[in-house]
Amino acid sequence: MATPSAPTTERTASADTPTPLSRVIAYLRPMGTPLGSVLFAFVVGAIVVVATRGNALLAYESLACGGFGIFCQNGENTALQLSNTLVFTTPLILTGLAVAVAFRAGLFNIGAEGQLVMGAIAAAVVGIKLGTWPALILLPSVLIAGTLAGAAYGGLAGVLKAVTGAHEVVTTIMLNYVALWASRYLIIGGPLQAPGAFNASPPVAAGAQLPRLVPLNNNLLFGLPQSVFTAYTGIFVSLFGAAIYFFIMRRTALGYEITAVGQSQRAARYAGISVRRTIVVTMLISGAFAGLAGAVVLSGLSHSLVDTYFQDTTGFDAIAVSLLGQNTAIGVVLAAILFGALHAGGQVMEADAQISHNLVFVLEALVLFSLAANFLRTFKFRLPAFGRSPTQPAELEAQDVVVGAADEPG
Amino acid sequence: MRHLRFRFLALGVVLMLAVPLVAACGSTTGGGGTTTGKTIKVGLVTDTGGLNDKSFNHLAYTGLLKAEHDLGVRGDVLQSVTQTDYVPNLTHFAAQGYDLVIAVGFDMQVALGQVSQTFPNTHFAIIDGSPTDANFNPVPRANVLSLFFREQEAGALVGTVAGVLEKDQKTPKPTGVISAVGGQKIPPVDRYIAGYQWAAKMADPSIKVLVGYSNDFTDPTKCSGIANSQFGQGSDVVFQVAGGCGNGALQAAGQKGVYSIGVDADQGFVDKSVIVSALKKVDVATFDAIKFIQDGSLPPDYQATGEAPCVASTRSCTEFLFNLKNGGVGYAVDNLNPLPSDVQTAVTNLENAIKAGQQTPPETVS
Repeated sequence: MATPSAPTTERTASADTPTPLSRVIAYLRPMGTPLGSVLFAFVVGAIVVVATRGNALLAYESLACGGFGIFCQNGENTALQLSNTLVFTTPLILTGLAVAVAFRAGLFNIGAEGQLVMGAIAAAVVGIKLGTWPALILLPSVLIAGTLAGAAYGGLAGVLKAVTGAHEVVTTIMLNYVALWASRYLIIGGPLQAPGAFNASPPVAAGAQLPRLVPLNNNLLFGLPQSVFTAYTGIFVSLFGAAIYFFIMRRTALGYEITAVGQSQRAARYAGISVRRTIVVTMLISGAFAGLAGAVVLSGLSHSLVDTYFQDTTGFDAIAVSLLGQNTAIGVVLAAILFGALHAGGQVMEADAQISHNLVFVLEALVLFSLAANFLRTFKFRLPAFGRSPTQPAELEAQDVVVGAADEPG
Repeated sequence: MRHLRFRFLALGVVLMLAVPLVAACGSTTGGGGTTTGKTIKVGLVTDTGGLNDKSFNHLAYTGLLKAEHDLGVRGDVLQSVTQTDYVPNLTHFAAQGYDLVIAVGFDMQVALGQVSQTFPNTHFAIIDGSPTDANFNPVPRANVLSLFFREQEAGALVGTVAGVLEKDQKTPKPTGVISAVGGQKIPPVDRYIAGYQWAAKMADPSIKVLVGYSNDFTDPTKCSGIANSQFGQGSDVVFQVAGGCGNGALQAAGQKGVYSIGVDADQGFVDKSVIVSALKKVDVATFDAIKFIQDGSLPPDYQATGEAPCVASTRSCTEFLFNLKNGGVGYAVDNLNPLPSDVQTAVTNLENAIKAGQQTPPETVS
């Protein structure tokens, strides 16, 4: 990664005298592709809205209202919208990191959803069965149980890949279904079903619940009863996860090994790195992040294991989040905020602009499409370049791909 | 080169500033519409089935549209993608000051229990359920109106059709065996099946009624699997009580050349095998709930059923019960039209007996 970018800096420095502005632009340059693809998605999304006889401006306005509490027309409460965005963002950061760490090793973990479900199941079991433990021990146990369950589930795909060469895309997709149906079995007629409920477990003990950001009572806050603000402290767990990801990737030998395997398995092997071991460890870490996401949501928001995962898309949105975040810790956090805001905004858009929340999925898919197709890169050459020499040869660009096609083992 | 760059940058900045301005201008339209009564705002929150479920959510939406047209209310809809959307969606309407927020379905009981406590001055209504706490214990809320149905009465009518056909040996394979496929063993489903079983046995005492549950309301393949195994045991009439999943049972009956019975909505269009449908008029219930909140008028033939009677002046009411008598449940004849005369007579007799209170179908499957 460092090698191709070095000449760029040199050339920029020699060609132009650095001004503060050009420095800022050079700093922002890595954000060009993600921002471009978001812009692309919104432009095409607007065309979709207009083609279906909607008002694109009103749609985006209400989307912004729902996501960030700005441009609100119908008196929506800004604090409530921000709280909703935070709720959606919290698990997306963790699942985004799960997919990102796998991408770094050249692995495509489509199983974040299944690992998330396994994490939620483990967290629910611990939170219900060991409910008498003191909160100081119980809450960490719940989160650790979710992390371990997710890690084991992700690691299973890693072991299969390392030992038999079974492709992780296939195994993780299939394992998703195993996890989904296991969760449904447990709460519909299975051992975790709560008496009186038809598809839910009993709630975990109070000591197993991540605290809310504001207490659960009806005192007014920002003009609304406090209990409407469902944002919870899970966001700090997610940000802590992002910090751990940053530390692993930037400061440890393991992070270097993961990146090396991702760029070229053959070169990594020559360098003395055990590719198999790295694949397994990567999938363990990846599953751990996703499992933690499941545990955090269960512990902080849903409190019961509910039959929601067949519709839940957190594990799949994570693919777009990590690609949009360019597999960096800060990028994943920012992308998760954007996607969280889109999800929260979809509700307001549907109510205020009468445009289906499915537009949000269209936008997400367009972001993913434009990133995956990578066509903005080719398009960029025709535009005046910001912060780099326009004469830079194409092959330098081509090497700059973060999600590289990894060599097959063997 | 440099100039060009800055020009693009400047253009970008101008665009970024201009978009919100244009947006603000573009959205000043809105409002208006015909009003016949007091204009109230009604928010409808679907469950995860969404508006196109051809069942509950769709029917509730039909009721809302009728209220918009006939009563001049303003209606808005939020579709829930997952169960975790229930609380934010209900909260959205309540926080916006909507006069009535309607939750469609049993699945939203916990969410409604929470949100109705947060907004004690907002009216809520829920179809097929009542507010509960996180442990699924019912919690009384003065501001929540539960809309319940006597599904067993509709089930009894279609059970009579199946029973008499079987007794007359007019079913495709007269075996004396009929069946029902339930989505889950929950009260609204079991009430249908209980009435069906009871009436079929009354019409033909030697009949055998098979009952299976798919534990699913969405996947047609699961219900077609259960239906096929029931056909294997001799059943030649299947009653589906499993929403979208149950459509698989109707189609399986069509493939096997036996009869089927639809549920909730008139399902004659789903498959040619559907002879009759048991109706649960969620649209009527939705409309009546809106009308009550708007002008305090109770549904036609309303009878107090809950602990506390409804108070029109404060719009407080805990329960509306919809039955054959007030037209909240019923049946529709589909692809066996007209019904054989003795079948029709038996159904009409039972209908009148239930309406008159001479017959009371059971609520639980025996």
